[in-house]
Amino acid sequence: MTQSERDIPEGPTLPMLKTPLPELTRLLSEFRLGFSPPEIERLREYFSKEGRDPTLVELAGIAQSWSEHCSYKSSKIWIKKYLALLTDNARSLAMGDAGVMPIDEEWAYALRIESHNHPSAIEPYGGAATGIGGILRDVLAMGAKPVALADPLFFGPMDLPRKDLPDGVKHPRYLFQHVVSGIADYGNRVGVPTVSGSLTFDRSYIGNPLVNVGCVGLLRRKDLVKNRVGALGEKLVLAGGLTGRDGIGGVSFASKELSGKSEKESRPAVQLGNPIMKEPLIHAVLAAVEAGLVSGMKDLGGGGLATSSGELVSAGGFGSILHLDRVPVREKGLEPWEIWVSESQERMLLSVKPENVPAVETLFHLHEVPVSVIGEVAEAPWERLYWKGKLIARLQVPFRVDPILLERPVRKHGRSHGTPLPAPTNSWEDILSRLLLSYDGCSREPVVRLYDHEVQGRTEVAPVSGDVRTPTHSDATILRIDPRGPKGLALAVASLPFVGAIDPEVGGSEAVVEAVRNLYATGARPDALTDCLNFGNPEDPAVMGDFESTLRGLATAARGFGMAVPSGNVSFYNLGFGSGIPPTPVVLAVGIHPDVDRVVTTSLHSPGNLLYLLGETDPSLGGSLYQRIFGGHETSLSPSDVPTVRAMGTAIGELARQGWVRSCHDLSEGGLGVALPEMAFGRGLGFDVTVPEGKGLPAWRALVAEGTSRWILEVEPRHSSQVESALSRFAFRQIGKVTPSEGIYRAEGKIQARLDLAALYPQWRDFLRGER
Amino acid sequence: MPKAGKKVAILSIEGTNCDAELNSCFQQLGADPEVVDLKQLTGEVDDPSLRRRLADYDVLMFPGGFSAGDYVRAGAIMAARIRSALGKELFEFVEDPAHLVGGICNGFQVLVELGLLPGRPGNRLSAPQACLTTNDSARFECRPTFVSWEGGNFRPFSATPKGSVYFFPSAHGEGKLVLSGTEGTSLKDLEAAGQILFRWVDPDGEPAGYPWNPNGSEGNVAGITNPEGNVFGLMPHPERAFSLTARDRVLGRPTRHPVLTGREFLAALL
Repeated sequence: MTQSERDIPEGPTLPMLKTPLPELTRLLSEFRLGFSPPEIERLREYFSKEGRDPTLVELAGIAQSWSEHCSYKSSKIWIKKYLALLTDNARSLAMGDAGVMPIDEEWAYALRIESHNHPSAIEPYGGAATGIGGILRDVLAMGAKPVALADPLFFGPMDLPRKDLPDGVKHPRYLFQHVVSGIADYGNRVGVPTVSGSLTFDRSYIGNPLVNVGCVGLLRRKDLVKNRVGALGEKLVLAGGLTGRDGIGGVSFASKELSGKSEKESRPAVQLGNPIMKEPLIHAVLAAVEAGLVSGMKDLGGGGLATSSGELVSAGGFGSILHLDRVPVREKGLEPWEIWVSESQERMLLSVKPENVPAVETLFHLHEVPVSVIGEVAEAPWERLYWKGKLIARLQVPFRVDPILLERPVRKHGRSHGTPLPAPTNSWEDILSRLLLSYDGCSREPVVRLYDHEVQGRTEVAPVSGDVRTPTHSDATILRIDPRGPKGLALAVASLPFVGAIDPEVGGSEAVVEAVRNLYATGARPDALTDCLNFGNPEDPAVMGDFESTLRGLATAARGFGMAVPSGNVSFYNLGFGSGIPPTPVVLAVGIHPDVDRVVTTSLHSPGNLLYLLGETDPSLGGSLYQRIFGGHETSLSPSDVPTVRAMGTAIGELARQGWVRSCHDLSEGGLGVALPEMAFGRGLGFDVTVPEGKGLPAWRALVAEGTSRWILEVEPRHSSQVESALSRFAFRQIGKVTPSEGIYRAEGKIQARLDLAALYPQWRDFLRGER
Repeated sequence: MPKAGKKVAILSIEGTNCDAELNSCFQQLGADPEVVDLKQLTGEVDDPSLRRRLADYDVLMFPGGFSAGDYVRAGAIMAARIRSALGKELFEFVEDPAHLVGGICNGFQVLVELGLLPGRPGNRLSAPQACLTTNDSARFECRPTFVSWEGGNFRPFSATPKGSVYFFPSAHGEGKLVLSGTEGTSLKDLEAAGQILFRWVDPDGEPAGYPWNPNGSEGNVAGITNPEGNVFGLMPHPERAFSLTARDRVLGRPTRHPVLTGREFLAALL
């Protein structure tokens, strides 16, 4: 390899070629550049060929792109094996920063979910806020307008005694309150409704809470933008927030375990969000896209400009020239390497044809968004960085951007033998009220109210629905796509970590199944999902074994429903203070609803209507809410049969279109016992049902079991014969009827519980009220 | 081509985030709306084709959102910017009784900060005479709410029956109207002058406390007008209650009176 004199980068270098390996490893870690031995070998080989030592700027950029967070190096082979090749992915219009799926000839939607776990553990308010900022940019980078946010959250128990809190860990209640505030303050200001999410409280999340955030965007198909540069000579335009020292080293922080030292060491790695920069940035970017001025685009997230520019030009098969001194900065004295890797928020990198640059600048100036041409697309393979006219880095893009993929050792999860739960000695009233009045079973309304879930005016069914005087939980949120048409997007989030802890493959598939069940309950058809895979340390073969099993389950279920998985996120190293989290795949599923004027909601409609149970009841209680509240070690599971679930769900959709389903609710946490009061609350009604029982199925188990896939349907007597014949090929039985008040559960020939629902409702609704 | 409807300017700055849906509502009602950035009215634009003149519009709307982040006090920064850069044009616009100026949520806060609401006779831009302050709950809350019109000077409503109840969702953290009480601006004065636009009510149209009055506003006031009845502001969002199915879905049980939506309200403005 020959190079001219002036093509050798200047600036401080790291003596790589002559330093012996052990010394070099020590030196690299002194600079906080976490490279593995094979990576160090690759570095030495590359720079030996170049015949020079790397500059520190070069190493900083490489370290970003090769980090676990940016490169997915531990997970990529598995993602490829199980998800990337799903046949339904062929329907997607793009699989980039976000996946993009067609809706019809005119419209498409973008979807993505991500984690912001580690920053939120250290600085919950800012961590949650910038998590939203990041996912909005991913969707925006496809040319889509963000129209919905979803926030699945996992914390330790709210009532955790102080003495059980490890040193350096923040109390779950503190984390919960500040994460929720961060989501509300950022999401509400930025003008994107928070319409979905989940809340889970368990001891396994004490040391490592999970803060995932999903986003769905809408775009006209003609406005789809690719995450790659288009042609040689295009200008690279940096738009949005100023660059500062916040968020430096964020990706390496995200790629290691949390410890007692994290608070002190990693504060600077947490970025600062500014929704009032993001909001006009979204406006300006979308205006530029609509005007056809943008050839390619990428957001600046983990690894900052280094990762973003590298991937943008690499995807187009080009190189780049970048002038780091042209990056607008927030403070004086920033070093070039800091500008290169800073994760300062609210920034996008656009590739723009030279003749379109003035029009782009005009649009950004109008919205008061800083904008700067910082470089241009150059011949492959070289990436050249300049600082005040001096060359400071010169690397081959593929080398800099593409990591060594790892095939980490995998150990299969052995299914432990549990102990079957004994029959309860307490009354059904006691069981049911403890399920409903628990942190996991109570109403989410107090949190929902803090998030603006109505902004943009698309929300047809909010996360809570029913009469305004007595709102209850919805199964899926429904957004109207276009005011001129009847179509809607249906959104639902699900995860089953406690099932996954017993059998990760079942946990993976059931997360998909539960989310899809929620979509079906409204009359929607599942279309695609995006997944956030939260796991422990990938260097532990057992964790990688769980990861692989989870993916297999997830992919099998997605294929079974004909769903695409055009995007997702992997979050490893979720273990802090000695305890790992259970495998926690979080699914955000999106469905298409054919007619939002015919959406089915969960609230019971009229006394006298018939209640049916659709789906087979199975006695297993492993991973159930019942077991988590009352204790026990049962490990029996009853996985869903995906083809049957699909057939049942499709049938619900057809009945909904006929107008024959008055209300419908899927059975999940707390099973039949909890689902019925939730349905009754919505209009302040009651029910009188007989719980199914049989050989090997004690009634108390049928009351609280969550397995297989089931729904409750409310049907008017005049439609009962049509509905019964339409569903006769499934396990389908009438279990009772809607009444004006009281919740009556019958079994073994007598009334087992008589719930005073009017008295229970305010307790259920307000259980979380004092906590936020 | 259908005859062009009224020209509506929906004024935005960074952080006003309810402009697009308001624009869409006016479009569906057959008007000729446009989202206009403040800089387009003050002339700070690179491209002359972006320049707009306030006098060319019939209706000026201040949409909801968090203008400039609302970090000082809701609406204060946007009001200060308008006062210094557009004060004269706005004054002349309001002076013409054929023009209508409205503010929703953050827009209402801006109009109060501008001193245009409750306002003094003659529409002079003056010091604020009221404030929309932190909700009694001390929280931002997003919830379905209802308001009633009990008659007043609001000109677009001259044909609307008194006691009409509307479903407008609300979403705000600073919506509690506190009047300075200086001459002409006590609650009694506003009532006497017909300047009460809407009061918070329960779904049956009856006055009620929290959560039906989501912020603790004095006299359950949810919206007011100026003495001339051509400037108005309200805290809840009519543009978020534009579909009838959304209304029917939140009213799972019967109400005493029929409940109207944002569609009827916004149509009356045109």
